[in-house]
Amino acid sequence: MENSNYLSVTDILVTNEKIPCKFLHDLPKMGFLDPSAADNDLKAGTNVEIPLWLAESLYSRRPPLVSVELPKIYKDSYREILNADACTVDMHKLNQHFYELGCYIAKHDIKGEVANTLINTFRQRFRMLLSACVSTDSVGAIQPLSASERQQAADAGSTEKALATWLQRGDSVLTTANMVANHRKRKRAEMEMF
Amino acid sequence: MFAEKVIELLKEAERNPATIDPFNDDKIRQILEEMQSLFKMNMNDANATMENKTLWTTVQVRHSALERNKRCLLAYLYNRMNKIKTLRWEFGSVLPPDVRELLSDDEYLWFSKYSSNLASYMRSLGQDIGYNGIDLTENLKPPKSLYIEVLCMADYGKLELEDGDVILLKRNSRHFLPTSECQTLIRQGILKQIT
Repeated sequence: MENSNYLSVTDILVTNEKIPCKFLHDLPKMGFLDPSAADNDLKAGTNVEIPLWLAESLYSRRPPLVSVELPKIYKDSYREILNADACTVDMHKLNQHFYELGCYIAKHDIKGEVANTLINTFRQRFRMLLSACVSTDSVGAIQPLSASERQQAADAGSTEKALATWLQRGDSVLTTANMVANHRKRKRAEMEMF
Repeated sequence: MFAEKVIELLKEAERNPATIDPFNDDKIRQILEEMQSLFKMNMNDANATMENKTLWTTVQVRHSALERNKRCLLAYLYNRMNKIKTLRWEFGSVLPPDVRELLSDDEYLWFSKYSSNLASYMRSLGQDIGYNGIDLTENLKPPKSLYIEVLCMADYGKLELEDGDVILLKRNSRHFLPTSECQTLIRQGILKQIT
């Protein structure tokens, strides 16, 4: 799991999210990790928000240096909202990488409720996404999406469009390559700026 | 905090997934400096763990940060490499100078090697049955007709066709050309198919 997306930028951005952790050992000279501490050293038992990559790597040491706690959005109160009706939630505001982060968090939740919530949320929201994507104008009308959902919506939209053009004409027009076109557009935008 | 510069670097690249950015060697140098100083501090503290046992925790934290920086840098280079590969397929084997200057020297070297590898592979295709190669960058979409009507988008100059005719491609001129001869120019954005 960890190595399979070693080079994926999305996974790097997901692991950059901050999550609350409790340090189990003293850390000399690491006082700056806790913005509220004036001390030079970090004492055992402090609660600090650190990026997920640091937490994961310190948790996997023997003995573990930190214990990972659930971030607010995966706690009871938020889970209740998501289980009640996930479609009304502003995913963009809640967390850009809700599902991906959840997959990491789920293994620190002993009861397994986070995992259930993730599946439940996905089931509800995917149906909504799917029906919205078939008609091109309603994607804007649903609640803001998370990063992966936006990608899915864009993919669905372009597939839908490709199918429609194929059905209409059965012909494939030769077009400029994607990167060439984008490079030109960008150059023009830069020229206009100066 | 650790490894923040490298995230800036990746976010910058991520903002334009469809184009390639200039190689940011300034930022990469800063990140490498950060890694150097982390490594030095770790060396010092690792040697000092003899007297002060509690230091090992700090060493672990810094080591994680080093690994993180390494991973992000590799991801940055890898994603650029994929884009450069696309450049070969979309711009062709000769890059326009304004695209060329976006690559670092090493990346350009990689591009030339990839380009020549691809070319020699394409030349080798079908040799056993008497053909001398297929250009895989052609016919990415199924051709529907032998001749198509095209509009010229830029002052390209003279183009010699396979039958020996020379035509002048001027901006806004219209031509009726064999599909096989103009599809590369269409992909490069010089011609546009009129339907």
